[in-house]
Amino acid sequence: MAHVPLNPIGNERDTFLDEQEVARNSEFIANLKSTLDERRTEVAAGWGEKYQQRVHAKGKLTARERIELLKDNDSDIFEVGTFVNYGRKFDAGGKEMISPGAGVVTCFIKVEQRWVVAIANDNTVASGSWWPETSEKIQRAQQMALRLGIPAIYLVDCSGLFLPEQSKSFPGATGAGHIFKMNSLLSDQGVPQIAGVFGDCIAGGGYMPIISDRVFMTEQAYMVIAGAALIKGAKSQDLTSLGIGGPEVHVHQSGCADVRVPDDQHCIAAIRAEIAKTSSSAADYRRGDAAAAQPRFDASELNELFPSDHRTYYDVREVIARLVDRSTFWELMPDKGKDMITGIARINGLYCGIIANVQGPIDDPNNPGKVRPGGILYRDGIAKISEFSRTCNSDGIPIVWLQDISGFDIGTEAEARGLLGYGSNLIYSNSTNDVPMFTILLRKASGAGYYAMAGLPYDPVVQLSTTIARQSVMEGRTLAIAAFNTKLDDNFEIVADSEEEREKIAKGMAATEQRIEGDMCPYKAASQRDTDDIINPDEIRPWLSCLIEASYQAQANRRVKNPRIWSMHDIAALHGDA
Amino acid sequence: MFKRLFVANRGEVAARIVRACRELQIEVVCAASTADLKANFQYLQQADQVVCIGGSAPSASYLQLEQIVQAAKQTNCSALHPGWGFLAENSLFAALCEQHGISFIGPDAATMDMMALKVPARAAAMAAGLPVVPGSEGLLDSPTDAIRVANEVGYPVVLKADAGGGGRGIRRCDNDGEVSKAFADAAREAESAFGNAALYLEKYILGGRHIEFQVLGDGRGKAIHLGERECSIQRRHQKLLEEAPSPMLNSEQRANYGEMSARATAHWNYSGAGTIEYLLDEDGSLYFLEMNTRLQVEHPVSESITGIDLMQQQIIIAAGGSLPCTQDEVQLNGHAIELRVNAEDTNDDFRPTPGELTKFRINGNSIRFDTHLQAGDSVPPYYDSLLGKVIAHADTREQCIDMLVAAIDDADVEGVPTTLGLQRNILLNDDFKNARCDTLWLESFLGGNK
Repeated sequence: MAHVPLNPIGNERDTFLDEQEVARNSEFIANLKSTLDERRTEVAAGWGEKYQQRVHAKGKLTARERIELLKDNDSDIFEVGTFVNYGRKFDAGGKEMISPGAGVVTCFIKVEQRWVVAIANDNTVASGSWWPETSEKIQRAQQMALRLGIPAIYLVDCSGLFLPEQSKSFPGATGAGHIFKMNSLLSDQGVPQIAGVFGDCIAGGGYMPIISDRVFMTEQAYMVIAGAALIKGAKSQDLTSLGIGGPEVHVHQSGCADVRVPDDQHCIAAIRAEIAKTSSSAADYRRGDAAAAQPRFDASELNELFPSDHRTYYDVREVIARLVDRSTFWELMPDKGKDMITGIARINGLYCGIIANVQGPIDDPNNPGKVRPGGILYRDGIAKISEFSRTCNSDGIPIVWLQDISGFDIGTEAEARGLLGYGSNLIYSNSTNDVPMFTILLRKASGAGYYAMAGLPYDPVVQLSTTIARQSVMEGRTLAIAAFNTKLDDNFEIVADSEEEREKIAKGMAATEQRIEGDMCPYKAASQRDTDDIINPDEIRPWLSCLIEASYQAQANRRVKNPRIWSMHDIAALHGDA
Repeated sequence: MFKRLFVANRGEVAARIVRACRELQIEVVCAASTADLKANFQYLQQADQVVCIGGSAPSASYLQLEQIVQAAKQTNCSALHPGWGFLAENSLFAALCEQHGISFIGPDAATMDMMALKVPARAAAMAAGLPVVPGSEGLLDSPTDAIRVANEVGYPVVLKADAGGGGRGIRRCDNDGEVSKAFADAAREAESAFGNAALYLEKYILGGRHIEFQVLGDGRGKAIHLGERECSIQRRHQKLLEEAPSPMLNSEQRANYGEMSARATAHWNYSGAGTIEYLLDEDGSLYFLEMNTRLQVEHPVSESITGIDLMQQQIIIAAGGSLPCTQDEVQLNGHAIELRVNAEDTNDDFRPTPGELTKFRINGNSIRFDTHLQAGDSVPPYYDSLLGKVIAHADTREQCIDMLVAAIDDADVEGVPTTLGLQRNILLNDDFKNARCDTLWLESFLGGNK
């Protein structure tokens, strides 16, 4: 039957958590949130007030002020790549320097009621120059716009490569020049690109705006292949970069830009007016009769559901209940592969598929009456999510992966059952999906489970980590066991000839475990671009509202089947729950 | 038109829906709890099918949304009428019905959401050009915030729960000290009563008259109004007697306020029958209070003076139909008064008095009697105590009063105490005859009678 039978999911919080647990859990999350807030503030400050004042003194706005002005008043800012290069020091000729956010702000914002990806050089960090990882961060944002078919807006104010570290950002496959290849690919796919040039726009920076459909230049802006500093005799001829590449040249002589505007404010207004001319969002059309609605159980309660010990269970159904509209959900294949939940919901009024790991002991179908641990991929669960993933792709339903996975089942039985094959099938499905996928690392993202459930290497449009996310090939303890395998017996107890040796091995294992624990810190992952951003649990719902709506914004960009003809109904029919 | 409709309610309203369906030649399936199934009321006998949806307590039957949706699907119903009370204003229920392919007779879930909370409803009213009681623009952050707003609008003020209703979660304050004292208490009370501590503040309108306009919208931007009703005779926000039109409005006010109400209904793309409630203060100013996104108990007085069957129209609109007429074609004829006959002991704080009705006859010339009961029926203790509604329609208000007094005198009701005796006293009271009763009148009348 062609209706999408969403049914209530979840319970009042008080029915499954007592007051003490709520207090304990919320304190745990609140502490992590205050760290997150502090670090966000730290990154947002760029190089600090002195550099912000410097920008203002020139009569210009900072990158973040430009974004604030560009977005609709009621739009939130969903920043990606906030923590790229976080904690990383660069060598500027013997002087240590930092590059908060890799010197560029990338985010989803709503402009004239359309989601756009904004890419703004941070002019408070080394005049917006490109650091190691900056070009990768820009390309990642471009990729998001390309995948969703939503406009990309470049707010350019860039003095070129940060030269002392040029070897880390210039020559590689994703080096600075690849940004212009991405510009070309977006244009090739008809994705609107608009550039505002607000200041320096040298060398690489100079190419970035040109491919955009529309280029606006303020009176302080110039675009040059090389600045006056590199031109022989420039000093005696009184040449300036503004003189050779300002709006007087590019708007009127070369035609490399379209429109000149007096200042930042006018430039932003012009870009907004341009976005208003792009096609309006199809999201409301795709909602059909349903309007967006809040979950019945408040999304803010997500801050209270996760236990402080990562080995402790929680009920992921209650998490889903706090993410989806009206807390209603259509669970598919509920009787198979109970280590996984697959189902359809509306988020922000729009359909999406949700795939989540179940924690805690789960009935073991191979040993009736026995249970086995959750958060692990077993054969039926893998088969179930493979099928669900392919069907979402076939129906054009965006997929939300909620990961809390320790890895694949291991051992004699697992190998004999061919988990490598089932897992590869899942990987193949996810690798060839066209539908937008979004991955949220709720907690653990370990081993091949992280890959198989559309972790970052499998190209989700966006991957977000919560403040309690733990990414690694395996947990620290397991990794220590693997590394010290030759020194351990069957029960992973240390085998040593002397007490000294035993202590040495134990120490080594503890050190390994500790180092892995440190590596699993989400800020380290975000700094290395192993995840797109870090969010507090109660931010998952607003993020998904943005991402799902953005997935349905562009028209004729991808397959979107009406629910009447979904293949999902075939699954329901075959599993007897239609 | 729908082939088969599910009645997700009981008692008088269920009987009313069954009647409308029979007139529209729609098959009807009635839900019944075990208690109602045992009582085997006449409307259940008239239904094409009856489905037992659970135990006697409402929480086990008439409030079981998933069970009800399943029952409607399994009995092949294409539409569902929620009646009033129970799930009638539950947006999740409306959304579930739509999601499962069953037309919910009423506005869509989003409109219900908008009107369910006071602050969004106020905002929607303002956007549609309706006057609202001066007060806070949104929710209050703190007692300080409340005091600031209170001084802007002037004392006395009331603190209200955003999720409030039925008169609960309301606190009157006459000065800054009372506001700061009441704030925490009101928030706590709202949290425990509604699970939502949010508060807002309004100017307190002393007394005032409860005036409500009946509207019909087609969901496509067209709407009409069917005049107003006055329901000032109430105790603890429970109405006992309603009439249309209100003696307090002249025809010019009626036309203006009615047009304003219809315009707002059109603005919201409202679908089906609804009631916009207002408070009319002593100066003759009208303030939006709330919108009820359902048919109301007292709808028959509007039906009487307009000749439009609201229950039928609601169903027709839900099936994609048009409004029955244009505004110009709506004629308001004469006057109508409705008495809610409740099984309650008026001498014992209106204690409900379930039991067996040994005799039950109320009739009279031009008297309409809407009920689900007949002599010999039992009134189960689990539900509200409404036995039926007596409606008089005549040229004048005085004639209505005379007809109702005669009907009460002639009535043959035995077995359970009812409110009829009290209603007779009200009808014969000079204040009522002279239309001098505001919303506080009944309480003081009852106090004086003790």
